[in-house]
Amino acid sequence: VSLSQTALVFVVMAPGAVFALLAVLWLLGWVPSERVLSRITGLTFTACLFGLATLLWTLATRASAITVTFGNWFAVHDYRFPLILMADRWSLPFLVMTVALSGLIGQFSATYLHRESGFFRFFLFLYLFAFGSLLAFAAGSFDLLIAGWELVGITSVLLIAFFDQRPAPVENGLRVFAVYRAADIGLLVGVFALHEWAGTASFAGGMPTLKEAQATVVCLFLLLAAAGKAAQIPFSGWLPRAMEGPTPSSAIFYGAISIHAGAYLLLRAQPLIAQTHTAATCVIIIGAATAGYGTLTGRASADAKTSLAFASLTQVGVIFVEIGFGWRSIAVAHILGHAVVRTLQFLRSPSMLHDYHRMHSAIGGEISPTGRHLEDLIPETAQVWLYRWALDRGHLDTILDRWFIHPLLQISRLFGRLDGIGMTAGSIPRKESSISMHSPAEEAIK
Amino acid sequence: MTAIGAWSPTGPAASGVAITIPWLGAILLMAWRRHARILGFTASLVSVAASVGLLLAAPAGESLREALMVLFSCLTLASTLMLPKRDCDAPTMAGILFILGATLAAYSTDNLAVFLAGWILTTVPFLVRSWFRAPSWRPATALSLSSLALALAIVLISTSGHALSIEALKGQSPGGTVAFGLLVTAVILRKGICPAQAWVADLAEGGPAIPTALLVNGHFGALLVARLILPLFPRTAGNLFPVLSWFAMATALYVAIRALTEDSPRRLLSFVALSQSAVILAGLESRTSEGITGALVHWFVVTVSTMGLFGILRLLEVRFGENLTASRHLGLAQHAPRLAVSFAVFGLALVGLPGTLSFCSQDLLIHGTLMSHPVTGVVLPIATAMNAVSILRLFARLFLGKRRTGFTHMADALPRERWILAGGLLFVVLGGLFPNLIVAQRSAETDAVALRTDAAMQDIPRKTSGLRARAASPQTTTMDYVDSKQ
Repeated sequence: VSLSQTALVFVVMAPGAVFALLAVLWLLGWVPSERVLSRITGLTFTACLFGLATLLWTLATRASAITVTFGNWFAVHDYRFPLILMADRWSLPFLVMTVALSGLIGQFSATYLHRESGFFRFFLFLYLFAFGSLLAFAAGSFDLLIAGWELVGITSVLLIAFFDQRPAPVENGLRVFAVYRAADIGLLVGVFALHEWAGTASFAGGMPTLKEAQATVVCLFLLLAAAGKAAQIPFSGWLPRAMEGPTPSSAIFYGAISIHAGAYLLLRAQPLIAQTHTAATCVIIIGAATAGYGTLTGRASADAKTSLAFASLTQVGVIFVEIGFGWRSIAVAHILGHAVVRTLQFLRSPSMLHDYHRMHSAIGGEISPTGRHLEDLIPETAQVWLYRWALDRGHLDTILDRWFIHPLLQISRLFGRLDGIGMTAGSIPRKESSISMHSPAEEAIK
Repeated sequence: MTAIGAWSPTGPAASGVAITIPWLGAILLMAWRRHARILGFTASLVSVAASVGLLLAAPAGESLREALMVLFSCLTLASTLMLPKRDCDAPTMAGILFILGATLAAYSTDNLAVFLAGWILTTVPFLVRSWFRAPSWRPATALSLSSLALALAIVLISTSGHALSIEALKGQSPGGTVAFGLLVTAVILRKGICPAQAWVADLAEGGPAIPTALLVNGHFGALLVARLILPLFPRTAGNLFPVLSWFAMATALYVAIRALTEDSPRRLLSFVALSQSAVILAGLESRTSEGITGALVHWFVVTVSTMGLFGILRLLEVRFGENLTASRHLGLAQHAPRLAVSFAVFGLALVGLPGTLSFCSQDLLIHGTLMSHPVTGVVLPIATAMNAVSILRLFARLFLGKRRTGFTHMADALPRERWILAGGLLFVVLGGLFPNLIVAQRSAETDAVALRTDAAMQDIPRKTSGLRARAASPQTTTMDYVDSKQ
């Protein structure tokens, strides 16, 4: 095992190991102090950066890709789940971005969440998220990518519900989770189809070649998953809901890493997308539509984080278009630049008004919003209509609710009524002895 | 052949100990009515030790029967420790031990009469009004009818096949389509397959939580499919069994949708558990190595996870009141953080979180069923996605939200509960990190099936996985390896 392979394994595993260690210690009753946690975070991600520097040096001087194969995670006959980690020119930028921004967010949060009751929980989730992201980006196969992908999803949801004393973050987290799981069906079925037609879901040795129809099917399923994760149309409605989480987590998830995970999936699948015009066209259309949607709705957003989220959405839409056209290098550069800038903007968002005042003072006037000249070209009645449309966020949530969620819940209630046939009204009494949830005072009030 | 002669040849004494000690414990408890937990724990421990002995003595790749015995006896052992003090009386513990003995008898035997006896005996505590019987009429009816259907089928099989040994009857389709139909009816009623799904929720709602979880986690429906239907009726099963698989997938979807608006935590959990366990049938029927192995691994995951979830729910009810609901946020995580974390991990383990064993079993199941049923197989990931949402909703409503102030102090997991929960969590998490230890074992058993398939199966078309042509072995009959040990 070479030094670079060791470094790759270390970079991916270190956050996971710290997460596991902290979780076990918590279960045993020990919670580290804020200072200790901050130091551990700094050390972990600094060490990971050194590991990445080794990888970068190796890739720049000697190899085109560093691959570590652990064999199969599990295997049944000729169906195998390979454990392959890989760092190449596509994944390394994402690995660097994840490690650097996770470390940065860790240091920022040590101050930002000082004395917050969920301080330890936040860092636990940060480690799990970093591990999931690194696993997804360093995966050498779509199978392993799914594992990291799902971890990113669940940590994202848990952090949206971070302020769990209020119902809104919890319910919004649940909504985001539902969208993630719905979109992930595309990933599962797409990877199954890849296994079935190509015999493998590994891309460590290059992407397999499929017939055009097969490639189209696989790519469309992967596009469904990517669109869900990147909040592309028609899944964009969850993004503003995700802003309920603490600002540092919003910055790293929806400004930098999670929001670009969908783009990374498409980057990996791009050789397949290039084999099929239908899929490429779909990627371009969805990306372009989302970019337009994001810029319009962002203009009607009243709060800082939501407008930044829609600005993110616009850029990710453009990145999808770039991938659809096959401009992978441009897309990677765009992702890196966008992630860094957007993270900074998110982290500064609590003091955005203060920043604006300083800028206005410095330039001696107001900064005009971008795109005003384009807005002026639109007739006034159309502007009003567009404003209403943007204010309701393109009616996406309304459509989803009316045409999908409400009918599903109605069917569920109908099933409930069917289940109740033959039963007397009221709940079934318990065999076990019963006590009340409420205190005597609450019972008296009731 | 006598029933006694048909016990496992690898360890009749160990099998006898594993089965009779719990029954003796139950009798002692009913007579003495003291030290229920100690007696229950001791009897279960002896049963675990005997089952482990059987597992260690079993030949490689032919140990599913013993593995299931170990699993169920461990589950019962955990139940005896996890049972809240309020529930830990002599009748409850005796009932639990009674179920353990009967379940192990059914798992270990090759004799149809003993299998039937085990099947019926597990239901007895749930038919007696003074024991575990739920106030609703549906559980007792479904369990009684399933026993009746199985009894009729076994009478038909034994009269037409002139034997009671599964091994002797293998591949003969004894009793023809009528017996097959009766067996399928028994599966549908016992497993809670649509349209007979409602009794499971009724029992979970009205019956005692932990014994109900034990009854459901015996997975007798899947056991019947694997032990009797597939080995005895290979031709009929080859042609008609996909119908049961469609019913299973429809059940998985139906109860997953049903759970979306359910506010009773017990009912909601039972729906999710039912949906996930219905998937086991679909995997067994998929006739692919991936599907069958996934189903066998999933059997273990569902059993441990649902037991953990029901156990935690009961602990919450005991501490915080029995009118828990998923209609509003109760904020219990503030009071019981360890129970909250355990609930979240068990819940997510049930629906395929990466890093848990169910991620692997779901992966295999989805591949297997999609290979076998490219259109209807899509139901599986859809149902799993809905179940995940339901579980997270239940977690969010129970544990998140504003801290309740109606009570002064409530204990988090007690030390004995903590150890049991830690054991379950270790199983699902370590199993997920190193799944090959379990998957390879189940896969080897699937291989053993392929090698010993009855000649009658030769002309049933095999499902191959696309470009990945397999070795030219006949199609699996799932658990023939159990019988092959005779």
